[in-house]
Amino acid sequence: MLEIRNLAMRYRTGKLALAGVSLRVAPGELVVVLGSNGSGKSTLLRCIARILTPTAGEAWVGGEDFAKLEGEKLRRARMVLAMIFQQANLVKRRSVIANVATGALGRHDDWRTALGRIPPEEIEPALRCLAAVGLEELAEQRASTLSGGQAQRVAVARALAQKPRALLADEPVASLDPEAAEDMMRLLRQLATDDGLAVLCVLHQPELAQRYADRIVGIKSGILAFDLPAAEVPQDAIQRLYLSEAA
Amino acid sequence: MAVEADRHALKLHRPGDTWQRAWRFLLAFAALLFVAQSLIVVQARPQDLVTGVGGMADFLRRSLPPDFSQIGTYIWPTFETVDIAFFGTFAGVLLALPLAVLAAENVAPSRVIYLAARGIISFCRAVHELVWALLFVTAVGLGPFPGGLALAVHSVGMLGRLFAEQIETMDMGPIDALTLTGASRLQVFTHGVVPSVLPALLGISLYRLDENIRSSLVLGFVGAGGIGFHLLTAMNLFQYRQVSTLLIVTFVLVIAAERASAILRAKLA
Repeated sequence: MLEIRNLAMRYRTGKLALAGVSLRVAPGELVVVLGSNGSGKSTLLRCIARILTPTAGEAWVGGEDFAKLEGEKLRRARMVLAMIFQQANLVKRRSVIANVATGALGRHDDWRTALGRIPPEEIEPALRCLAAVGLEELAEQRASTLSGGQAQRVAVARALAQKPRALLADEPVASLDPEAAEDMMRLLRQLATDDGLAVLCVLHQPELAQRYADRIVGIKSGILAFDLPAAEVPQDAIQRLYLSEAA
Repeated sequence: MAVEADRHALKLHRPGDTWQRAWRFLLAFAALLFVAQSLIVVQARPQDLVTGVGGMADFLRRSLPPDFSQIGTYIWPTFETVDIAFFGTFAGVLLALPLAVLAAENVAPSRVIYLAARGIISFCRAVHELVWALLFVTAVGLGPFPGGLALAVHSVGMLGRLFAEQIETMDMGPIDALTLTGASRLQVFTHGVVPSVLPALLGISLYRLDENIRSSLVLGFVGAGGIGFHLLTAMNLFQYRQVSTLLIVTFVLVIAAERASAILRAKLA
């Protein structure tokens, strides 16, 4: 479902952030990327989602190579790939349900939605997406009234409204308390298992990764250090990810 | 503690002290020179303020009590004054919105367009509304219309910059997130940018309306209609009791506009 081949990224400053990374995430699989700050794990996700344009390699999602798409083609392709961030990034002055429904805007490119209308036929599906994250009773509330954990779940609901086949999560629990973090990981696990999404998630907590992931990918200095089933990852391999270059 | 630290810092900077003192003395001297030359240039004569008291008293005596017999004829000019401000603000907002989008660094489509939009906005602001009114009176003749146009153009300058600043300081997270869902540029704008900045823009516009009502009172002085025109006429004809009536109307109008704008803005927040 999600297949990356030799993805490389060199910033304008000359820094090589990704030096040819390849990995696959099958439908129904939750793969966690671990690595220290500056290892290139966020760059990896940003290159796949085309927030950044990779300098080489391929990023196949749903039969399209995202690394090669531009303009209108890229916009259309983006529907199949959802992404959530450390922050929920909701439009705070709109209702929860409106925020969720905006996830479906890509399917309704007409003049009425261009003027700010939410397609009425997307309200029902949006409510189901909210129910999937367990927050349907908050539909009418303003997004600004939500707690951090709730907002992050609404962000997931918005991602689901896209009807994606793959989900990227860039440190989705970094700004949550431990309990909300567990909830979020359970939710991602469930989206993979029950809905068959291919989930690629960057984390800073090896312990969470080992409990929820199918596979763990270690990245160090822009290079794949290991790619193993979660249960088979040796402790020292994880520790080596966080050791500085000089050590 | 703080004082101790300051003393310590002063001791550390001893070698530079003399220079610093000389520098400060020079600055103070230059400031004094500036004030002195301004006194000369404006031909300030404080003694005239004292002898002028008589003139002011005379003016006050002749303008009291206010003559309300003509109040009926001021109703229409009052409407004109308020509507010049409404027209100017409304047209200003309509023109400033698209310009501000082009003049906000984070959403502008290209550098050239950004600079062009900034230039237009700065130009509208740099020329005072009275000057705009004079220009428009020359172009379209006397009356309230040139006044409305003058306020519209000057408002574009004021609103355009404030709108653009609002857009530039907004949180880009939701915008990026919407872009990644596959929404079009226009959809991202109407569903992400607009709801985020709309309340702030409305507040700024209301404040502008309040300012424009005050400005529109003065625009009559250059022939652009409204109460100002009647005020000028009454002054020129030495009808001081009419002048005082008009000043009362002005005062009520300005205070009412200020209060209404403040209440509406409080509701928005």
